[in-house]
Amino acid sequence: MPTLNLSGAMRLLVLVVVFMAGVWSQSSGVIDDFIFYLPDIQYLAVQHLWLTAISGSLAILVAIPLGILLSRPTMEKVAESAMQVLNVGTTIPTLAVLALSMSFLGIGTVPAVFGLFVATLLPITRNTYTGLKGVSPALMEAAAGIGMSPTQRLLRVELPNALYVIFAGIRTALAINVGTVPLAFLIGAGGLGELIFTGIDLYDPVMMLSGAIPTALLAVAVDMLIAVTAFLMVPRGVNPSRA
Amino acid sequence: MKTLMTLLSGAALASTMATAQANEIVVGGKNFTEQQILASMTSQYLDGLGYDVEQRSGMGSAVLRQAQENGQIDLYWEYTGTSLINYNDVTERLSPEETYARVKELDAEKGLVWLAPSDANNTYALAMREDDAQERGIATLSDLAQAVNDDEGLTFALNAEFYAREDGWRPLQQAYDFRVGRGDVKRMDSGLVYQALRDGQVDVGLVFATDGRIPAFDFQVLEDDQNYFPAYALTPVVRAETLEANPELEAQMDKLSGLLDDATMSGLNAQVDVDKETIERVAEGFLKEHDLL
Repeated sequence: MPTLNLSGAMRLLVLVVVFMAGVWSQSSGVIDDFIFYLPDIQYLAVQHLWLTAISGSLAILVAIPLGILLSRPTMEKVAESAMQVLNVGTTIPTLAVLALSMSFLGIGTVPAVFGLFVATLLPITRNTYTGLKGVSPALMEAAAGIGMSPTQRLLRVELPNALYVIFAGIRTALAINVGTVPLAFLIGAGGLGELIFTGIDLYDPVMMLSGAIPTALLAVAVDMLIAVTAFLMVPRGVNPSRA
Repeated sequence: MKTLMTLLSGAALASTMATAQANEIVVGGKNFTEQQILASMTSQYLDGLGYDVEQRSGMGSAVLRQAQENGQIDLYWEYTGTSLINYNDVTERLSPEETYARVKELDAEKGLVWLAPSDANNTYALAMREDDAQERGIATLSDLAQAVNDDEGLTFALNAEFYAREDGWRPLQQAYDFRVGRGDVKRMDSGLVYQALRDGQVDVGLVFATDGRIPAFDFQVLEDDQNYFPAYALTPVVRAETLEANPELEAQMDKLSGLLDDATMSGLNAQVDVDKETIERVAEGFLKEHDLL
Protein backbone atom coordinates (compact mmCIF):
# COMPACT_ATOMS: atom_id res chain seq x y z
CA MET A 1 0.00 0.00 0.00
CA PRO A 2 1.35 3.43 -0.92
CA THR A 3 2.02 5.76 2.01
CA LEU A 4 2.32 9.53 2.15
CA ASN A 5 5.89 10.66 2.61
CA LEU A 6 5.82 14.12 4.12
CA SER A 7 8.81 16.02 5.36
CA GLY A 8 8.77 17.05 9.03
CA ALA A 9 7.72 20.65 8.32
CA MET A 10 4.89 19.58 6.02
CA ARG A 11 3.63 17.12 8.59
CA LEU A 12 3.59 19.84 11.23
CA LEU A 13 1.72 22.16 8.86
CA VAL A 14 -0.94 19.52 8.17
CA LEU A 15 -1.35 18.94 11.91
CA VAL A 16 -1.74 22.67 12.53
CA VAL A 17 -4.33 22.99 9.75
CA VAL A 18 -6.33 20.06 11.11
CA PHE A 19 -6.13 21.51 14.59
CA MET A 20 -7.30 24.94 13.40
CA ALA A 21 -10.18 23.35 11.50
CA GLY A 22 -11.19 21.59 14.69
CA VAL A 23 -11.04 24.82 16.71
CA TRP A 24 -13.09 26.67 14.11
CA SER A 25 -15.78 24.00 13.81
CA GLN A 26 -16.16 23.77 17.57
CA SER A 27 -16.35 27.54 18.07
CA SER A 28 -18.77 28.22 15.21
CA GLY A 29 -21.35 25.71 16.39
CA VAL A 30 -21.16 23.61 13.23
CA ILE A 31 -20.41 20.57 15.38
CA ASP A 32 -23.71 21.01 17.22
CA ASP A 33 -25.53 21.22 13.90
CA PHE A 34 -23.91 17.98 12.79
CA ILE A 35 -24.88 16.32 16.06
CA PHE A 36 -28.46 17.37 15.33
CA TYR A 37 -28.36 15.27 12.16
CA LEU A 38 -26.57 12.33 13.79
CA PRO A 39 -29.62 10.03 14.08
CA ASP A 40 -30.42 10.80 10.44
CA ILE A 41 -26.83 10.15 9.41
CA GLN A 42 -26.76 6.79 11.21
CA TYR A 43 -30.08 5.62 9.78
CA LEU A 44 -29.21 6.68 6.26
CA ALA A 45 -25.61 5.42 6.39
CA VAL A 46 -26.92 1.93 7.18
CA GLN A 47 -29.31 2.18 4.21
CA HIS A 48 -26.44 3.49 2.11
CA LEU A 49 -24.12 0.62 3.01
CA TRP A 50 -26.84 -1.96 2.34
CA LEU A 51 -27.27 -0.62 -1.17
CA THR A 52 -23.50 -0.83 -1.69
CA ALA A 53 -23.22 -4.26 -0.10
CA ILE A 54 -26.02 -5.85 -2.14
CA SER A 55 -25.14 -4.27 -5.49
CA GLY A 56 -21.40 -4.69 -4.90
CA SER A 57 -21.48 -8.35 -3.95
CA LEU A 58 -23.81 -9.20 -6.84
CA ALA A 59 -21.43 -7.37 -9.17
CA ILE A 60 -18.39 -9.27 -7.82
CA LEU A 61 -20.22 -12.59 -8.14
CA VAL A 62 -21.11 -11.93 -11.77
CA ALA A 63 -18.10 -9.91 -12.92
CA ILE A 64 -15.27 -12.27 -11.92
CA PRO A 65 -16.67 -15.38 -13.66
CA LEU A 66 -17.49 -13.18 -16.66
CA GLY A 67 -13.95 -11.83 -16.73
CA ILE A 68 -12.51 -15.35 -16.47
CA LEU A 69 -14.80 -16.58 -19.24
CA LEU A 70 -13.80 -13.75 -21.58
CA SER A 71 -10.09 -14.39 -20.99
CA ARG A 72 -10.29 -18.04 -22.13
CA PRO A 73 -8.60 -18.80 -25.48
CA THR A 74 -11.89 -20.02 -27.00
CA MET A 75 -13.47 -16.63 -26.37
CA GLU A 76 -10.62 -14.68 -27.91
CA LYS A 77 -12.64 -13.48 -30.91
CA VAL A 78 -15.60 -12.37 -28.83
CA ALA A 79 -13.57 -10.94 -25.97
CA GLU A 80 -12.31 -7.79 -27.66
CA SER A 81 -15.76 -6.72 -28.87
CA ALA A 82 -17.27 -7.65 -25.49
CA MET A 83 -14.68 -5.45 -23.82
CA GLN A 84 -15.59 -2.60 -26.16
CA VAL A 85 -19.24 -3.01 -25.19
CA LEU A 86 -18.25 -2.90 -21.53
CA ASN A 87 -16.15 0.19 -22.21
CA VAL A 88 -19.15 1.94 -23.72
CA GLY A 89 -21.19 0.83 -20.72
CA THR A 90 -18.71 2.48 -18.36
CA THR A 91 -19.09 5.83 -20.05
CA ILE A 92 -22.88 6.00 -19.59
CA PRO A 93 -23.56 8.34 -16.66
CA THR A 94 -24.82 6.44 -13.64
CA LEU A 95 -27.75 8.79 -13.32
CA ALA A 96 -28.87 7.71 -16.78
CA VAL A 97 -28.47 4.04 -15.80
CA LEU A 98 -30.62 4.66 -12.72
CA ALA A 99 -33.24 6.48 -14.78
CA LEU A 100 -33.34 3.65 -17.32
CA SER A 101 -33.61 0.94 -14.68
CA MET A 102 -36.38 2.93 -13.01
CA SER A 103 -38.36 2.92 -16.23
CA PHE A 104 -38.71 -0.87 -16.21
CA LEU A 105 -38.25 -1.75 -12.52
CA GLY A 106 -40.34 0.97 -10.90
CA ILE A 107 -38.93 2.92 -7.96
CA GLY A 108 -37.16 2.13 -4.72
CA THR A 109 -34.42 -0.31 -3.75
CA VAL A 110 -34.69 -2.78 -6.65
CA PRO A 111 -33.93 -0.41 -9.55
CA ALA A 112 -31.27 1.33 -7.44
CA VAL A 113 -29.50 -1.95 -6.73
CA PHE A 114 -29.76 -2.89 -10.38
CA GLY A 115 -28.38 0.44 -11.58
CA LEU A 116 -25.49 0.33 -9.12
CA PHE A 117 -24.86 -3.31 -10.05
CA VAL A 118 -24.48 -2.40 -13.71
CA ALA A 119 -22.19 0.53 -12.92
CA THR A 120 -20.02 -1.63 -10.64
CA LEU A 121 -19.95 -4.68 -12.90
CA LEU A 122 -17.91 -3.15 -15.68
CA PRO A 123 -14.68 -2.08 -13.94
CA ILE A 124 -14.42 -5.42 -12.13
CA THR A 125 -14.93 -7.44 -15.30
CA ARG A 126 -12.39 -5.36 -17.15
CA ASN A 127 -9.75 -5.67 -14.46
CA THR A 128 -10.31 -9.41 -14.14
CA TYR A 129 -9.90 -9.82 -17.88
CA THR A 130 -6.84 -7.56 -18.06
CA GLY A 131 -5.26 -9.22 -15.04
CA LEU A 132 -5.65 -12.70 -16.46
CA LYS A 133 -4.42 -11.65 -19.90
CA GLY A 134 -1.42 -10.03 -18.28
CA VAL A 135 -0.05 -13.20 -16.72
CA SER A 136 3.38 -13.81 -18.23
CA PRO A 137 3.31 -16.27 -21.18
CA ALA A 138 6.51 -17.84 -19.86
CA LEU A 139 4.70 -18.86 -16.68
CA MET A 140 1.81 -20.29 -18.65
CA GLU A 141 4.15 -22.26 -20.84
CA ALA A 142 5.99 -23.62 -17.81
CA ALA A 143 2.68 -24.61 -16.25
CA ALA A 144 1.66 -26.43 -19.42
CA GLY A 145 5.15 -27.95 -19.59
CA ILE A 146 4.87 -29.61 -16.18
CA GLY A 147 1.58 -31.13 -17.28
CA MET A 148 -1.07 -28.96 -15.64
CA SER A 149 -4.62 -29.18 -16.98
CA PRO A 150 -6.29 -25.92 -18.10
CA THR A 151 -8.31 -25.85 -14.86
CA GLN A 152 -5.19 -26.33 -12.74
CA ARG A 153 -3.46 -23.60 -14.72
CA LEU A 154 -6.35 -21.21 -14.06
CA LEU A 155 -6.56 -21.94 -10.35
CA ARG A 156 -2.87 -22.27 -9.51
CA VAL A 157 -1.11 -19.96 -11.93
CA GLU A 158 -3.40 -17.47 -13.60
CA LEU A 159 -5.73 -16.43 -10.77
CA PRO A 160 -3.05 -16.03 -8.08
CA ASN A 161 -0.99 -13.93 -10.46
CA ALA A 162 -3.98 -11.83 -11.54
CA LEU A 163 -5.47 -11.49 -8.07
CA TYR A 164 -3.77 -8.19 -7.28
CA VAL A 165 -5.14 -6.54 -10.43
CA ILE A 166 -8.59 -8.03 -9.80
CA PHE A 167 -8.62 -6.57 -6.30
CA ALA A 168 -7.58 -3.19 -7.65
CA GLY A 169 -10.67 -3.35 -9.89
CA ILE A 170 -12.93 -4.23 -6.96
CA ARG A 171 -11.46 -1.39 -4.93
CA THR A 172 -12.08 1.21 -7.61
CA ALA A 173 -15.53 -0.13 -8.43
CA LEU A 174 -16.79 -0.19 -4.85
CA ALA A 175 -15.41 3.25 -4.00
CA ILE A 176 -17.24 4.59 -7.06
CA ASN A 177 -20.30 2.62 -6.01
CA VAL A 178 -20.39 4.25 -2.55
CA GLY A 179 -19.96 7.66 -4.15
CA THR A 180 -22.79 6.97 -6.58
CA VAL A 181 -25.38 5.72 -4.06
CA PRO A 182 -26.50 9.30 -3.22
CA LEU A 183 -28.07 9.47 -6.69
CA ALA A 184 -30.29 6.54 -5.69
CA PHE A 185 -32.22 8.93 -3.48
CA LEU A 186 -33.72 10.43 -6.62
CA ILE A 187 -35.46 7.16 -7.43
CA GLY A 188 -36.71 6.67 -3.89
CA ALA A 189 -34.08 4.31 -2.51
CA GLY A 190 -32.92 6.46 0.40
CA GLY A 191 -29.26 6.54 1.42
CA LEU A 192 -27.20 9.58 2.38
CA GLY A 193 -28.40 11.31 -0.78
CA GLU A 194 -31.49 12.28 1.22
CA LEU A 195 -29.44 14.70 3.29
CA ILE A 196 -27.43 15.94 0.32
CA PHE A 197 -30.37 16.64 -1.97
CA THR A 198 -32.60 18.01 0.78
CA GLY A 199 -29.72 20.26 1.80
CA ILE A 200 -29.40 21.49 -1.78
CA ASP A 201 -33.15 22.09 -2.06
CA LEU A 202 -33.30 23.98 1.21
CA TYR A 203 -30.03 25.86 0.80
CA ASP A 204 -28.79 24.32 4.01
CA PRO A 205 -25.02 23.70 3.69
CA VAL A 206 -24.76 21.89 7.03
CA MET A 207 -27.45 19.38 6.06
CA MET A 208 -25.75 18.93 2.70
CA LEU A 209 -22.37 18.30 4.32
CA SER A 210 -24.00 15.93 6.83
CA GLY A 211 -24.69 13.76 3.82
CA ALA A 212 -21.59 14.50 1.77
CA ILE A 213 -18.90 14.05 4.41
CA PRO A 214 -20.13 10.65 5.66
CA THR A 215 -20.44 9.55 2.02
CA ALA A 216 -16.82 10.47 1.38
CA LEU A 217 -15.69 8.79 4.60
CA LEU A 218 -17.62 5.63 3.72
CA ALA A 219 -15.98 5.55 0.29
CA VAL A 220 -12.53 5.84 1.86
CA ALA A 221 -13.38 3.23 4.50
CA VAL A 222 -14.66 0.74 1.91
CA ASP A 223 -11.56 1.33 -0.19
CA MET A 224 -9.27 0.70 2.79
CA LEU A 225 -11.20 -2.38 3.85
CA ILE A 226 -10.72 -3.96 0.45
CA ALA A 227 -7.09 -2.88 0.35
CA VAL A 228 -6.50 -4.72 3.64
CA THR A 229 -8.40 -7.75 2.34
CA ALA A 230 -6.25 -7.74 -0.79
CA PHE A 231 -3.11 -7.43 1.30
CA LEU A 232 -4.07 -10.50 3.31
CA MET A 233 -5.52 -12.60 0.48
CA VAL A 234 -3.00 -12.13 -2.30
CA PRO A 235 -0.18 -14.66 -1.80
CA ARG A 236 3.20 -13.26 -0.79
CA GLY A 237 5.04 -14.23 -3.97
CA VAL A 238 2.75 -12.26 -6.31
CA ASN A 239 1.82 -9.40 -4.02
CA PRO A 240 3.66 -6.17 -4.87
CA SER A 241 2.81 -4.65 -1.46
CA ARG A 242 4.25 -7.62 0.45
CA ALA A 243 7.29 -8.33 -1.65
CA MET B 1 -9.93 39.08 -45.96
CA LYS B 2 -8.61 41.53 -43.47
CA THR B 3 -11.49 43.92 -44.06
CA LEU B 4 -13.91 41.04 -43.63
CA MET B 5 -12.36 40.18 -40.27
CA THR B 6 -12.55 43.79 -39.19
CA LEU B 7 -16.17 43.92 -40.25
CA LEU B 8 -16.96 40.70 -38.43
CA SER B 9 -15.23 41.72 -35.22
CA GLY B 10 -16.93 45.10 -35.44
CA ALA B 11 -20.29 43.40 -35.85
CA ALA B 12 -19.55 41.11 -32.94
CA LEU B 13 -18.60 44.04 -30.78
CA ALA B 14 -21.70 45.96 -31.79
CA SER B 15 -23.93 42.99 -30.98
CA THR B 16 -22.44 42.51 -27.52
CA MET B 17 -22.89 46.20 -26.86
CA ALA B 18 -26.46 45.96 -28.06
CA THR B 19 -27.27 43.12 -25.66
CA ALA B 20 -25.74 45.00 -22.78
CA GLN B 21 -28.20 47.79 -23.38
CA ALA B 22 -31.24 45.59 -24.01
CA ASN B 23 -33.56 44.79 -21.12
CA GLU B 24 -32.03 41.70 -19.64
CA ILE B 25 -34.25 39.56 -17.45
CA VAL B 26 -33.31 36.29 -15.75
CA VAL B 27 -36.40 34.12 -15.24
CA GLY B 28 -36.19 31.42 -12.56
CA GLY B 29 -38.17 28.27 -11.82
CA LYS B 30 -38.33 25.48 -9.24
CA ASN B 31 -37.85 21.79 -9.73
CA PHE B 32 -41.28 20.48 -10.67
CA THR B 33 -43.42 20.48 -13.80
CA GLU B 34 -45.69 23.44 -13.09
CA GLN B 35 -42.73 25.68 -12.33
CA GLN B 36 -40.88 24.56 -15.43
CA ILE B 37 -43.94 25.31 -17.57
CA LEU B 38 -44.29 28.76 -15.97
CA ALA B 39 -40.59 29.54 -16.39
CA SER B 40 -40.70 28.52 -20.04
CA MET B 41 -43.97 30.39 -20.63
CA THR B 42 -42.67 33.56 -19.02
CA SER B 43 -39.39 33.36 -20.92
CA GLN B 44 -41.07 32.92 -24.28
CA TYR B 45 -43.63 35.62 -23.53
CA LEU B 46 -41.06 38.21 -22.45
CA ASP B 47 -38.76 37.21 -25.28
CA GLY B 48 -41.61 37.92 -27.69
CA LEU B 49 -42.04 41.33 -26.10
CA GLY B 50 -38.43 42.15 -26.93
CA TYR B 51 -36.67 41.47 -23.63
CA ASP B 52 -33.37 39.69 -23.55
CA VAL B 53 -34.37 36.65 -21.47
CA GLU B 54 -32.28 34.01 -19.77
CA GLN B 55 -34.03 31.06 -18.14
CA ARG B 56 -32.78 29.19 -15.07
CA SER B 57 -35.05 26.58 -13.59
CA GLY B 58 -34.80 23.36 -11.60
CA MET B 59 -33.87 24.73 -8.17
CA GLY B 60 -35.34 24.11 -4.74
CA SER B 61 -37.47 26.94 -3.31
CA ALA B 62 -34.88 28.13 -0.82
CA VAL B 63 -32.11 28.25 -3.41
CA LEU B 64 -34.27 30.14 -5.87
CA ARG B 65 -35.38 32.68 -3.27
CA GLN B 66 -31.78 33.18 -2.13
CA ALA B 67 -30.75 33.75 -5.74
CA GLN B 68 -33.48 36.35 -6.19
CA GLU B 69 -32.47 38.19 -3.03
CA ASN B 70 -28.89 38.20 -4.33
CA GLY B 71 -30.01 39.61 -7.66
CA GLN B 72 -29.07 36.53 -9.71
CA ILE B 73 -32.71 35.89 -10.61
CA ASP B 74 -35.02 38.77 -11.59
CA LEU B 75 -38.39 37.12 -11.80
CA TYR B 76 -40.08 33.85 -10.88
CA TRP B 77 -43.49 32.53 -9.81
CA GLU B 78 -43.81 32.02 -6.07
CA TYR B 79 -46.66 30.82 -3.85
CA THR B 80 -47.89 33.20 -1.14
CA GLY B 81 -47.85 30.64 1.70
CA THR B 82 -44.33 29.51 0.90
CA SER B 83 -42.97 33.00 1.36
CA LEU B 84 -45.13 33.68 4.42
CA ILE B 85 -44.01 30.65 6.39
CA ASN B 86 -40.61 29.69 4.99
CA TYR B 87 -39.00 33.02 4.18
CA ASN B 88 -40.74 35.29 6.67
CA ASP B 89 -41.40 32.83 9.53
CA VAL B 90 -44.97 34.03 10.06
CA THR B 91 -46.95 31.39 11.94
CA GLU B 92 -50.31 33.19 12.20
CA ARG B 93 -53.29 31.74 10.36
CA LEU B 94 -54.22 34.21 7.64
CA SER B 95 -56.89 34.30 4.95
CA PRO B 96 -55.66 34.13 1.33
CA GLU B 97 -56.06 37.92 0.96
CA GLU B 98 -54.29 38.63 4.24
CA THR B 99 -51.52 36.23 3.25
CA TYR B 100 -50.95 38.07 0.00
CA ALA B 101 -51.02 41.49 1.69
CA ARG B 102 -48.59 40.35 4.36
CA VAL B 103 -45.97 38.83 2.06
CA LYS B 104 -46.25 41.81 -0.28
CA GLU B 105 -45.44 44.08 2.65
CA LEU B 106 -42.70 41.91 4.19
CA ASP B 107 -40.94 41.13 0.92
CA ALA B 108 -41.05 44.77 -0.18
CA GLU B 109 -38.52 45.44 2.59
CA LYS B 110 -36.21 42.96 0.86
CA GLY B 111 -36.60 44.69 -2.50
CA LEU B 112 -39.03 42.18 -3.98
CA VAL B 113 -42.35 43.11 -5.55
CA TRP B 114 -45.34 40.76 -5.56
CA LEU B 115 -47.35 41.49 -8.73
CA ALA B 116 -51.02 40.61 -9.22
CA PRO B 117 -51.80 37.11 -7.89
CA SER B 118 -53.36 34.52 -10.18
CA ASP B 119 -56.41 32.47 -9.23
CA ALA B 120 -54.34 29.30 -9.06
CA ASN B 121 -53.89 27.99 -5.51
CA ASN B 122 -51.30 25.24 -5.70
CA THR B 123 -51.50 23.93 -2.19
CA TYR B 124 -49.66 20.90 -0.91
CA ALA B 125 -51.97 17.98 -0.29
CA LEU B 126 -51.82 14.33 0.67
CA ALA B 127 -53.49 11.95 -1.73
CA MET B 128 -54.37 8.27 -1.83
CA ARG B 129 -55.57 5.91 -4.53
CA GLU B 130 -59.32 6.48 -4.71
CA ASP B 131 -60.36 2.85 -4.20
CA ASP B 132 -57.87 2.40 -1.35
CA ALA B 133 -59.08 5.58 0.41
CA GLN B 134 -62.70 4.46 0.17
CA GLU B 135 -61.87 0.97 1.37
CA ARG B 136 -60.09 2.35 4.42
CA GLY B 137 -62.72 5.07 4.94
CA ILE B 138 -60.19 7.90 4.79
CA ALA B 139 -61.43 11.21 3.35
CA THR B 140 -59.73 13.84 5.52
CA LEU B 141 -56.33 14.31 7.11
CA SER B 142 -57.95 13.69 10.50
CA ASP B 143 -59.10 10.28 9.24
CA LEU B 144 -55.55 9.66 8.06
CA ALA B 145 -54.10 10.62 11.44
CA GLN B 146 -56.55 8.21 13.07
CA ALA B 147 -55.50 5.41 10.71
CA VAL B 148 -51.81 6.03 11.42
CA ASN B 149 -52.44 6.04 15.18
CA ASP B 150 -54.38 2.77 14.80
CA ASP B 151 -51.20 1.26 13.33
CA GLU B 152 -52.60 0.44 9.93
CA GLY B 153 -49.03 0.47 8.64
CA LEU B 154 -49.55 3.16 6.01
CA THR B 155 -46.47 4.13 4.01
CA PHE B 156 -45.81 7.62 2.67
CA ALA B 157 -43.97 9.14 -0.28
CA LEU B 158 -42.76 12.72 0.16
CA ASN B 159 -40.32 14.94 -1.68
CA ALA B 160 -37.12 16.22 -0.10
CA GLU B 161 -38.27 19.79 0.31
CA PHE B 162 -41.60 19.12 2.01
CA TYR B 163 -39.99 16.78 4.51
CA ALA B 164 -37.92 19.60 5.96
CA ARG B 165 -40.05 22.69 5.36
CA GLU B 166 -41.64 24.79 8.08
CA ASP B 167 -45.03 24.26 6.46
CA GLY B 168 -44.12 20.65 5.88
CA TRP B 169 -44.04 17.19 7.35
CA ARG B 170 -43.12 17.61 11.04
CA PRO B 171 -45.52 20.51 11.77
CA LEU B 172 -48.25 18.67 9.84
CA GLN B 173 -47.84 15.66 12.12
CA GLN B 174 -48.00 17.95 15.16
CA ALA B 175 -51.12 19.73 13.89
CA TYR B 176 -53.02 16.48 13.30
CA ASP B 177 -51.39 14.68 16.20
CA PHE B 178 -49.93 11.62 14.53
CA ARG B 179 -46.43 10.23 14.13
CA VAL B 180 -45.16 8.17 11.23
CA GLY B 181 -42.00 6.14 11.82
CA ARG B 182 -38.85 6.88 9.82
CA GLY B 183 -39.05 3.60 7.92
CA ASP B 184 -42.58 4.25 6.65
CA VAL B 185 -41.60 7.50 4.93
CA LYS B 186 -39.92 7.29 1.55
CA ARG B 187 -38.42 10.48 0.16
CA MET B 188 -37.92 10.96 -3.56
CA ASP B 189 -38.05 13.37 -6.45
CA SER B 190 -41.40 15.26 -6.52
CA GLY B 191 -42.43 13.80 -9.86
CA LEU B 192 -41.87 10.19 -8.79
CA VAL B 193 -44.35 10.38 -5.93
CA TYR B 194 -47.27 10.06 -8.34
CA GLN B 195 -45.83 6.95 -9.96
CA ALA B 196 -45.03 5.38 -6.60
CA LEU B 197 -48.57 5.99 -5.37
CA ARG B 198 -50.19 4.76 -8.58
CA ASP B 199 -48.12 1.56 -8.60
CA GLY B 200 -49.01 0.82 -4.98
CA GLN B 201 -45.45 1.17 -3.68
CA VAL B 202 -46.77 3.58 -1.05
CA ASP B 203 -50.26 4.23 0.36
CA VAL B 204 -50.16 8.01 0.70
CA GLY B 205 -48.33 10.53 -1.45
CA LEU B 206 -47.52 14.21 -1.25
CA VAL B 207 -49.07 15.97 -4.25
CA PHE B 208 -49.48 19.48 -5.59
CA ALA B 209 -53.18 20.35 -5.88
CA THR B 210 -52.82 21.62 -9.47
CA ASP B 211 -51.03 18.51 -10.72
CA GLY B 212 -52.72 16.97 -13.74
CA ARG B 213 -51.91 13.43 -12.62
CA ILE B 214 -54.36 13.57 -9.69
CA PRO B 215 -57.44 13.08 -11.90
CA ALA B 216 -55.53 11.08 -14.50
CA PHE B 217 -54.34 8.47 -11.99
CA ASP B 218 -57.63 8.40 -10.01
CA PHE B 219 -56.21 9.82 -6.80
CA GLN B 220 -58.32 11.16 -3.99
CA VAL B 221 -56.98 14.28 -2.32
CA LEU B 222 -57.51 14.15 1.44
CA GLU B 223 -59.31 17.17 2.80
CA ASP B 224 -57.25 19.44 5.04
CA ASP B 225 -60.10 19.63 7.56
CA GLN B 226 -58.16 21.59 10.19
CA ASN B 227 -56.87 24.13 7.65
CA TYR B 228 -53.24 23.33 8.35
CA PHE B 229 -51.99 24.45 4.95
CA PRO B 230 -51.82 28.17 4.18
CA ALA B 231 -52.97 29.75 0.92
CA TYR B 232 -50.56 29.15 -1.94
CA ALA B 233 -51.66 31.69 -4.55
CA LEU B 234 -49.41 31.50 -7.59
CA THR B 235 -47.92 34.96 -8.13
CA PRO B 236 -45.10 36.46 -10.19
CA VAL B 237 -42.47 38.05 -7.94
CA VAL B 238 -39.98 40.47 -9.42
CA ARG B 239 -37.01 42.42 -8.04
CA ALA B 240 -37.84 46.08 -7.43
CA GLU B 241 -34.71 47.13 -9.35
CA THR B 242 -35.77 45.13 -12.38
CA LEU B 243 -39.22 46.65 -12.25
CA GLU B 244 -37.78 50.19 -12.04
CA ALA B 245 -35.69 49.52 -15.12
CA ASN B 246 -38.69 48.02 -16.96
CA PRO B 247 -41.84 49.76 -15.67
CA GLU B 248 -44.06 48.19 -18.31
CA LEU B 249 -43.21 44.72 -17.00
CA GLU B 250 -45.94 44.89 -14.34
CA ALA B 251 -48.83 45.29 -16.74
CA GLN B 252 -47.32 42.64 -19.01
CA MET B 253 -47.06 40.08 -16.21
CA ASP B 254 -50.51 40.93 -14.84
CA LYS B 255 -51.93 39.99 -18.22
CA LEU B 256 -50.37 36.53 -17.95
CA SER B 257 -51.22 36.10 -14.29
CA GLY B 258 -54.90 36.92 -15.00
CA LEU B 259 -55.16 33.92 -17.31
CA LEU B 260 -54.12 31.31 -14.73
CA ASP B 261 -56.43 29.42 -12.39
CA ASP B 262 -56.52 25.92 -10.88
CA ALA B 263 -58.20 24.28 -13.88
CA THR B 264 -55.84 25.94 -16.37
CA MET B 265 -52.71 24.95 -14.46
CA SER B 266 -53.98 21.43 -13.94
CA GLY B 267 -54.65 21.14 -17.67
CA LEU B 268 -51.20 22.44 -18.61
CA ASN B 269 -49.50 20.16 -16.09
CA ALA B 270 -51.43 17.18 -17.43
CA GLN B 271 -50.31 17.93 -21.00
CA VAL B 272 -46.72 17.47 -19.81
CA ASP B 273 -47.03 14.73 -17.18
CA VAL B 274 -49.83 12.65 -18.66
CA ASP B 275 -49.73 13.31 -22.43
CA LYS B 276 -45.91 13.54 -22.35
CA GLU B 277 -45.69 16.71 -24.43
CA THR B 278 -42.58 18.86 -24.06
CA ILE B 279 -42.64 21.76 -21.62
CA GLU B 280 -41.64 24.29 -24.30
CA ARG B 281 -44.42 23.20 -26.66
CA VAL B 282 -47.08 23.29 -23.95
CA ALA B 283 -45.99 26.76 -22.84
CA GLU B 284 -45.86 28.01 -26.42
CA GLY B 285 -49.29 26.53 -27.21
CA PHE B 286 -50.85 28.30 -24.26
CA LEU B 287 -49.34 31.66 -25.22
CA LYS B 288 -50.47 31.33 -28.84
CA GLU B 289 -53.97 30.35 -27.76
CA HIS B 290 -54.23 33.61 -25.83
CA ASP B 291 -52.53 35.71 -28.52
CA LEU B 292 -49.57 36.50 -26.30
CA LEU B 293 -47.04 35.23 -28.82
